[in-house]
Amino acid sequence: MATKSDILSKYKRNINKRFPMPEIKVDAITYPDPLAQFVFMSKTVGGKVVELKPTDDLNHVIKRLYPDAKVIASNLPEITIATRNPDTVENAQALNGTDVGIIRGMFGVAENACIWIPQTMKEKAVCFISENLVILLPKSEIVNNMHEAYKRIKFNNLGYGTFISGPSKTADIAQVLVMGAQAARSVTVLLLP
Amino acid sequence: MSNTAHSKAAKEFLKNQKYAQWHDQTFWSVRTKRDNMAYGLSEWEQLRETASAIKRHTLTHLDEYLDQFSTNAEKNGCIVHWAKDAAEFNEIVLSILREHHVKKMVKSKSMLTEECEMNPYLEAHGIEVVETDLGERIIQLKGQKPSHIVMPAIHLNHDDVGELFEEKLGTEKGNHDPTYLTYMARLSLRNEFLTADAGMTGGNFGIAETGDIVVCTNEGNADMSTSCPKLHIAAIGLEKVIPNYDCLAVFQRMLCRAGTGQPTTTYTSHFRKARPTASPMHIILVDNGRSEWMGNPEHWESLKCIRCGSCMNTCPVYRRSGGYSYSYFIPGPIGINLGMLRNPKEHSGNVSACTLCLSCQSVCPVKIDLGDQIYKWRQQLTSFGTANPQKKLMSSGMSFVFNHIGIYNSALWASPLANRLPRTLMYCSLNPWGEGHEMMQFPKESFHTLWKKGKVRKAKVKREK
Repeated sequence: MATKSDILSKYKRNINKRFPMPEIKVDAITYPDPLAQFVFMSKTVGGKVVELKPTDDLNHVIKRLYPDAKVIASNLPEITIATRNPDTVENAQALNGTDVGIIRGMFGVAENACIWIPQTMKEKAVCFISENLVILLPKSEIVNNMHEAYKRIKFNNLGYGTFISGPSKTADIAQVLVMGAQAARSVTVLLLP
Repeated sequence: MSNTAHSKAAKEFLKNQKYAQWHDQTFWSVRTKRDNMAYGLSEWEQLRETASAIKRHTLTHLDEYLDQFSTNAEKNGCIVHWAKDAAEFNEIVLSILREHHVKKMVKSKSMLTEECEMNPYLEAHGIEVVETDLGERIIQLKGQKPSHIVMPAIHLNHDDVGELFEEKLGTEKGNHDPTYLTYMARLSLRNEFLTADAGMTGGNFGIAETGDIVVCTNEGNADMSTSCPKLHIAAIGLEKVIPNYDCLAVFQRMLCRAGTGQPTTTYTSHFRKARPTASPMHIILVDNGRSEWMGNPEHWESLKCIRCGSCMNTCPVYRRSGGYSYSYFIPGPIGINLGMLRNPKEHSGNVSACTLCLSCQSVCPVKIDLGDQIYKWRQQLTSFGTANPQKKLMSSGMSFVFNHIGIYNSALWASPLANRLPRTLMYCSLNPWGEGHEMMQFPKESFHTLWKKGKVRKAKVKREK
């Protein structure tokens, strides 16, 4: 078996000329109204956006959006309609069959509708295994583009985070776009005041 | 002159004209979507320039960045392995799986595992491997290899997939609706995710500063593969490591826009360590030729590739000949170049699969000079012993004619005679130029003669000021 130093020294021997690091200065796109752009892009990628009014009851709104949902998974204290908790389930498999998973997003990205979701639960499976995913996002937390986004992301001790933009999708059969490949079949972003 | 391995294989592809046309148009529409994305950002060319410069810097300092990456990944609690070639890589994977008593492993798409032919190796050692990207799963069930690096099952239509699923997944007879078939695959794969002992992912990027493995998917299958099983193994080629998040932002913005014409993949997932309830995450860094290719002064920049697939989508030859016409497992312009780095003797049949239109290098998000590199490979065919003797003979014949004015003039004078040759003589195996296309009609008088007779006049074109 080759060791790290075998491989690295062989690689190093074969470098002919070293190029300097460029200054990363991209005049990246910004939007007069990043929130409007974020909403537009969310719909473009197949997601749904619902804006919550200050008087709305969060749990009622979700119930109204998914009237047939029986199994609801969330570890968020403000979600009182949850029937499962990803922090206390025995294992990730126990989250299978979840109709609606409810999670929190940290911020959204206007250019591509990505939402940063660090792992804040024991089983991150809830973000993918649920048939439908609801992401709670404060509407003030929108950045223009990925350059701004990557300056903002923070990791916690769980060591996992993902950008999600819309529902799981595929076009692997004859290039026909189908929503709901292996993960959530629908995504609703609930914009919080 | 259809005697290269590529053009022979392409003939098979072109037998089904209707499908060949669909293939061409489908990829052209992907190219058009890519253009819409690129034109939507005024900074697009700036991004390409920056991406190229970052890659040049990173590849020529990769010894340092790999060290930083592995140190940080280990600090995060990951176990880092180094594999010098495919054989070592496969052995490492198997030993990790055995150590954890793994019987079944789900995996997301990884061209590296194709490169190392990992699946057949593991299967021969009793491990069940389940591909979870829908396209990869389809070709796995069909016993085939990918025909495109991003759209692996593009060579099959919905009836092909429908019939396959009827046989393998027991789907409804005659129901070949893509939405239905996708749903049935979802149900079957869901069961695999829940019962697998391990999950493997590739990686689009490794981040030196943080030790993250970053995986981009549309289906969410990399996340499903790592959310339930107790073990996660990530495998990446050395060249996938980049310095930091500022660099990642540049590549993340381009990867999907260039590849499929989407503003982003649905999921851009960062794996820094295993889930709290799982075993430590394993990362395998694979060389398999890369450190050697780095020493090739004319071709090392092929290592800049981020595997978006845009060069094959735009390539007029790929679009009209399909992935299976190439001998290397990666088709299209980047595949031609990587195949030549891998084994020029075995893969030089691909270098003719290029019109030198350079469309590939004008769309490549990291500005690899793909077409120029193919041209350079062609100049070296003699040294690999793979130059075509017939073409060489004709080239030296032409060079002789062009260097002897008397012979050139006689040939020119005689050329219209070719117009009157019977078709059977003109289109026979002695004239490879007549194969696959109509020969030109030689004019009665050459330009040279016209000029001498004063018949060439200045064209009267009104030029607008």
